Amino acid sequence: MKIAPIEYGDRKVYTVAAFNRGVADWLARLPTLWVEGEVTELRRHTGWQSVFFTLKDPSDGACLPVTMPRGRFEALRLDLADGERVHVFGRPELYEARGDFRLRALSIERFGLGDHLAALERLKRKLAAEGLFAPERKRPLPRFPRAVGLVTGNDAAAKRDVVSTLAARFPPAHVVVAETYVQGPRAAAAIVQALRGLAARPDVDVIVVARGGGSFEDLLPFSDERLIRAIASSPVPVVSAVGHEQDTPLCDLAADVRASTPTAAGRLVVPDLGELLEQLDRDRGRLARAAQRTLARERDRLALVHERLRRAPALALERKRAALAQSAARLRALSPRATLSRGYAIVRTDDGIVRSPAAVRPGQPLRVEVAEGEFGARVE
Amino acid sequence: MTGPSDEPTFEGAQRELDAIVERLESGEASIDEAIRLWERGEELYRFCLAKLDRAQGRIEELARAARDDAAQREPA
Repeated sequence: MKIAPIEYGDRKVYTVAAFNRGVADWLARLPTLWVEGEVTELRRHTGWQSVFFTLKDPSDGACLPVTMPRGRFEALRLDLADGERVHVFGRPELYEARGDFRLRALSIERFGLGDHLAALERLKRKLAAEGLFAPERKRPLPRFPRAVGLVTGNDAAAKRDVVSTLAARFPPAHVVVAETYVQGPRAAAAIVQALRGLAARPDVDVIVVARGGGSFEDLLPFSDERLIRAIASSPVPVVSAVGHEQDTPLCDLAADVRASTPTAAGRLVVPDLGELLEQLDRDRGRLARAAQRTLARERDRLALVHERLRRAPALALERKRAALAQSAARLRALSPRATLSRGYAIVRTDDGIVRSPAAVRPGQPLRVEVAEGEFGARVE
Repeated sequence: MTGPSDEPTFEGAQRELDAIVERLESGEASIDEAIRLWERGEELYRFCLAKLDRAQGRIEELARAARDDAAQREPA
């Protein structure tokens, strides 16, 4: 439908009705969609054609008027009350008579905490099936990160806890803080952006995502699928430090390490410098003592070998001497003197030893050798 | 005795010394050989001892430096 302005010279002016009609037409072209919020100010009167309520965003209080034809609302048999969480399917429209913007509801579904939990559980199972939470994906944290990235809210105690813990444990630590929304509908995308920004810095070796606790609602961005995927695909290890008691945000499962508090996260990502220095001193002392021990052991060994060396020649000589004595004894045993001592005698002429009576003639001089000496004799 | 430098290593000298002592103690060496071995053994012993003395000196030097470092850090 054509909206025609009134023309005053070169100024085009619309009547209120025409303006409202124009905006209403434009709004009518928008698609139908689902909106989540909390029911407040529910008004239904038997005389009215429609039911009215205000849909409120529980995280930041933003409001949206909603209207639904009474018959359709009754048919849903929802028995809604203020404060209940719902999903409303509808399209935006302008109530032209009053210029009121509102959502015209076509359907309403109750979506309470239980539904939230169920949706979360479905997401968790889906991501787990993809292996995003698998233990073998977990990377070890660097021992000495060049810089620690910190994703946190701008006024968060969580930020203070992490930064002060880092400074106390490892004074030279370099922290790059990315402040972001940590709550509300924009939080998940903002956290993902902060995380990617930090990971892109060449000096950031580990990233801490910290939030100091909160209600189930407050922590919902930390279970957002986009954030879980961003953590799982982060090029540097991520420590999740989202304070909470019972419910585990999914970011805890996807992170490489989960810290119970922001302070604990600070302790995880840097070593304690004082402790390191002490350990180094202890190691140095052990080194010196070990070197002394090695030396002493070698000295003992050398002394022992030297002692053996010193004795060896005398020992060898002694053995040779003993062997010589043995040979001499055997030699002696073989000598004819041993036979003479038993009473035998050796008889010689000038020609040699006499072995036959035919070798001598009467009157010939002989020499007779016995055990203890020699004497002369003559053949008869 | 192996090694890239001309100077034999402590371990090489020690191994040779051990072998000499064992040969001598076995009684298989001739008298002449025994005397030669003994002289060589003494030479190796003096070499090893000198090496140990040098190492000891170096270790004590380092330990002193370490104590000085620690003492310097303490008052800070």
